[in-house]
Amino acid sequence: MNMLEIKQLTKKFGEYTAVDNLSLSVQEGEIFGFLGPNGAGKSTTIHMATSLLSATKGEIEIMGRNITKHSRFAKQAIGFVPQDLAIYEDMTAYENVHFFAGLYGLRGAELKRSAIEALEFVGLADRQGSYPKSFSGGMKRRLNIACAIAHRPKLIIMDEPTVGIDPQSRNYILNSVRKLNRRGSTIIYTSHYMEEVEEICSQIAIIDHGKIIAEGTKAELKAIITNQKNISITVRSTERLPMEQLKSIVGVNTVEAAEQTINISSAVEINNLNPIIQLLVASGVEIRGVEAQEPSLETVFLTLTGRTLRDE
Amino acid sequence: MNILRIAGKELKVFRDIKMLLFMLATPVLLMLILGTALSGNFHGTVKVDPIRVLYSYNSTSSAVGKQWEAFLLEAKASGIRFEEATSRTETDVVKDVQNGLYTGYARIADKGISYYGNSGSGKENGIVQGLLAALADRYRLTITETGLSASNGNYVTEASVDAVRQPGGLDYFAVAVTTMIILYSALTAGQLIETERSRHTDLRLLVSPVTKGEIFAGKIVGTLVLNAIFVAIIVLLSKYMFGANWGEHLWLVFLVLLTEIVLALSLGLGVGYCLKGNAAGSVLMIVIQAAAFVGGAYTPVDQTTGMMNFLSRYSPLHWSNDAILQIIYAGNLMAAPPAMMLNLGCSILLLALAIVLMRRREGL
Repeated sequence: MNMLEIKQLTKKFGEYTAVDNLSLSVQEGEIFGFLGPNGAGKSTTIHMATSLLSATKGEIEIMGRNITKHSRFAKQAIGFVPQDLAIYEDMTAYENVHFFAGLYGLRGAELKRSAIEALEFVGLADRQGSYPKSFSGGMKRRLNIACAIAHRPKLIIMDEPTVGIDPQSRNYILNSVRKLNRRGSTIIYTSHYMEEVEEICSQIAIIDHGKIIAEGTKAELKAIITNQKNISITVRSTERLPMEQLKSIVGVNTVEAAEQTINISSAVEINNLNPIIQLLVASGVEIRGVEAQEPSLETVFLTLTGRTLRDE
Repeated sequence: MNILRIAGKELKVFRDIKMLLFMLATPVLLMLILGTALSGNFHGTVKVDPIRVLYSYNSTSSAVGKQWEAFLLEAKASGIRFEEATSRTETDVVKDVQNGLYTGYARIADKGISYYGNSGSGKENGIVQGLLAALADRYRLTITETGLSASNGNYVTEASVDAVRQPGGLDYFAVAVTTMIILYSALTAGQLIETERSRHTDLRLLVSPVTKGEIFAGKIVGTLVLNAIFVAIIVLLSKYMFGANWGEHLWLVFLVLLTEIVLALSLGLGVGYCLKGNAAGSVLMIVIQAAAFVGGAYTPVDQTTGMMNFLSRYSPLHWSNDAILQIIYAGNLMAAPPAMMLNLGCSILLLALAIVLMRRREGL
């Protein structure tokens, strides 16, 4: 069954088109990754799917029902974890979860039990009486999730839930996503961290400039670039890097340079490692290591758009 | 149910003891400071002119005669001169009263006492009438009015015993500061939706199966109850801490205050939806300060003239204060409905504006 089906969705803000004729479907039981750089249109799409924004054009269905015509049904089925923390600092962790779960129609003992279960799920049961102001960033993020799952939604939409948190909390949240999926929820996970999407998602859509530019499983997406190889060269400094000359070497597609790393995407069938090394040495770039890498979603995005996911 | 749930959440502010104390201390201190510092604006002592009263005694009852004689002795001891209008017609007597030679004219008969006072001697008439009323009450007599005053136009009128009741400084500022503090709640109301937006909880509310209308209603009901409780505490504190006079019809006074709370919340929401962010707060602050100044929050405005008098008519504080003071000091319960209708009428307009703007907007 399609948990979410988006058909030819467009959203315009004045003259600016944030989402452009976008279509996708999410099947029941999937962890669906929605990957794209900041400003690509992920959040706008998600906000339309959760009825926070109206679509300029197109149609959205949740479990086969149009969300405009069956608004209450659609809202009841969705649990939404916003990108920013959406909790009341003047209410305890328990009160926060209790309040939001109550809006979904839970009452009495069932409401209490659901609130406690949600807090247990995110590991905050022992802090249920504490106010969020005493929580770390990671704990607040977990509370943010608990508020969205207490009513046991069939579809959970997480909008960049790991932004700005420590690695330990990030791992906790990623594990929670897997657990939620195992207990029966379908997950839509948006992120601009390709490692996260690669780690947990079974199906992935890559969005850029409001359009889906690639969709499929990890293997399917990487297959797009099986004719590509990625060479990572560690250098002392990239100050003297002959960027244009590197790009002109036969087979080289893209060159990305950080402080001490050069990432080169090149055609797999052309052996151009020697001319690349020779050019760098001749330019006075001191080489400290060379590594051939497996293609990643980052490489896929780079190949498809010519930019990295973290580009503004 | 969701409206009540959202309204209940608004009431959790009462758990913040520090804020609660601050919210209560501000009006109470303002009442005390303004009431003490500006008590000179309220007449604590009144200069009374010499009182001379003509009377005619027409009773055949010896009991009434004895009582009247005793009364004359007591009045004389108080410096009030009662002179019998012997061999003079009532027309002449009334003329003397009209010309200000006498404060009034009393006619004592078996059925009771009739009194006519000179309208130019309001305070003095009040005293005489008070004394006569006390006498009548003591001896179960009645004070009646004959048709004489009507034949003499409006010049000779019966003075009201209650006319001398006036609010003291603390009494006035208990009312004025309370109505002013209520108007300040517009600032909180202006931030009601903005606070949800800044905390991003608006997203969570909107994705839940709750309509915008329910969210809007829940927030208004919650804030209304919060402010009503808060105002009730202030009224009771001023009544029992400072002995401020809130009159004998506290329920009606509270109804007027309640409609002013509705007006303040509507004003905040209306401006909050018209202007975003800090602009709404700034505009509200200007409106509230202006309304407070011309509405008599810092000094009574009932004696003002010209532009100030004109502007004061458009301040909700003025019409609310006026109605409440009328209820307390003149027992005029009919002063309440016009003020309440003005408050509610303005509220409906402002709420309608907020609702139209809310429906047009994406999100809250």
